[in-house]
Amino acid sequence: MTRHVPTGSRIRERRLSLSVKQTDLAARAGISPSYLNLIEHNRRAIGGGLLTRLAEALDVDRAALAEDGDAALVAAVEAAGAARGIAPRALEDAGDLARRFPEWGRVIAAQAEAMAAQARTIEAMADRLSHDPTLADAMHELLSTVSVVRSTASILAQTPGIDRNWLGRFHANLDADSRRLADGAEAMVALFDRQASRGADHLLPSEAVSRFLDAHGHRFDALETNGPAAIPDLVAGIDDPAARAMAAEVLARDAEDAARLPVAAVLAATEPDDLIAAAGGDMALVLRRMGIVDPGRGLVVADASGALVRRKPVAGFALPVVGAGCPLWPVFAALGQPGRPVATTVETPDGAQWRAHAVAAPLAPQTFGGMAVMRATMLLTRVGMQGAADPVGPGCRVCPREGCAARREPSVLSGRGS
Amino acid sequence: MNRQTSSQPPGGRVLLIEDEQNIATAIAFILQREGWRVSTHGDGTTALAAVERHRPDVVVLDVMLPGKSGFDVLGGIRAGARPDLPVLMLTAKGQTKDRERAEALGASRFMTKPFSNRELVDAVRVLAGSAAPPDPV
Repeated sequence: MTRHVPTGSRIRERRLSLSVKQTDLAARAGISPSYLNLIEHNRRAIGGGLLTRLAEALDVDRAALAEDGDAALVAAVEAAGAARGIAPRALEDAGDLARRFPEWGRVIAAQAEAMAAQARTIEAMADRLSHDPTLADAMHELLSTVSVVRSTASILAQTPGIDRNWLGRFHANLDADSRRLADGAEAMVALFDRQASRGADHLLPSEAVSRFLDAHGHRFDALETNGPAAIPDLVAGIDDPAARAMAAEVLARDAEDAARLPVAAVLAATEPDDLIAAAGGDMALVLRRMGIVDPGRGLVVADASGALVRRKPVAGFALPVVGAGCPLWPVFAALGQPGRPVATTVETPDGAQWRAHAVAAPLAPQTFGGMAVMRATMLLTRVGMQGAADPVGPGCRVCPREGCAARREPSVLSGRGS
Repeated sequence: MNRQTSSQPPGGRVLLIEDEQNIATAIAFILQREGWRVSTHGDGTTALAAVERHRPDVVVLDVMLPGKSGFDVLGGIRAGARPDLPVLMLTAKGQTKDRERAEALGASRFMTKPFSNRELVDAVRVLAGSAAPPDPV
């Protein structure tokens, strides 16, 4: 069990064990010796970037200096601030805020988490926002409330020694606005539910097919047992003829895949490599089958234009329902090197890591003089922390990452997306 | 309706026209902390009268107001006695058409919610620096 030793005392212990002078450590961390002295005697709360700098200067893991429970909360508050574009210097106040007002710190962290979840839903509706006044009003309410919470939380974090009356007032406002935010989020979800129940009349054929596939989890047991004969019954419930025809094409390919790589073999496999031989070396087939059979894995198929022609979502890895994905996804790297498998670990903005297997291959056998139609396939599997990983996002519109060289449009989360 | 919340100078006068009490409280606090004298007003219908009364150096104006919209108020300011008065418009919608409308009506700056406190303070400071002084009362 970890000792309950304050962070400041841990810093002091570590410094003395390395025989480092207080002035030297303060200089390395970019603070004054007197401030470091206050920290070491636990008279100043510490967290955020300053704790990271001190940990680096002391050649020790940041977590080893943080008190139990503090680090996660500080990191969550810091991440919430970073996602909203707080200045790096102000981020260092995250530790102070979390220490002095832990309950409010948890509120901020919970709200940031809730906003990230909402962002995934917003992506689906963003393109229709300007055409739906009810939705626009709900968004207005939500953004207004987020604005108040953000400003108020920043004031609390950045105003040391704030007057008690103001403090009480801001706490009351934060309490009221966090409830309002929850109500607004609930109203937004209710709106989406109503949108979802309105039927597919307003959807493009491709959207209707995506909705049909999502409703079945992309897996159709009838295809596994009866093959293509099951398709007419499966798509009979799709009203739009164009969407019905598209869905039938998708299921025909799924049935063909199922015949070539039976479900029993797929279920027995752990890694894609386990199935390469059984699939006759067709790596794309392996990825498609593992992605469709296993509800715990995600699947993305893109054509040569980058358009996502199949997207099977998986909990924790947001896939845009409409529009483009993240240009950093390995599926697009695979498109640039057809036939060459790509296996890499990627990290989503919430810190979760995923194993991504991708490969690009012709949709049909190639002929001399014929035009190759390429498709890239990517399988996503959640993994534990693997160390360094390539940062990716859910698509620019709902991605909170700042300073991303691949960004092509601002994020609705930050309003900037530099 | 008016809530005079002035403190000591020297930053000049800011009139905040915003109907949501909590955001008005937060913005007023942020600006007062920087030395601005801040008055708040929460109604679109009487906003132009408030501008006349408070004679601000900068107006921070929300788009969504009861009575008259922020666009209507902005149009009234530009057609009034101080057409060059710096006006910072705030909106949660952030849609292109809102921005275009604000620019067409002569907004000095347009910011979408949520914004950072520092961003707001910096914007007000820049706008105040570009302002022509009001006529003597």
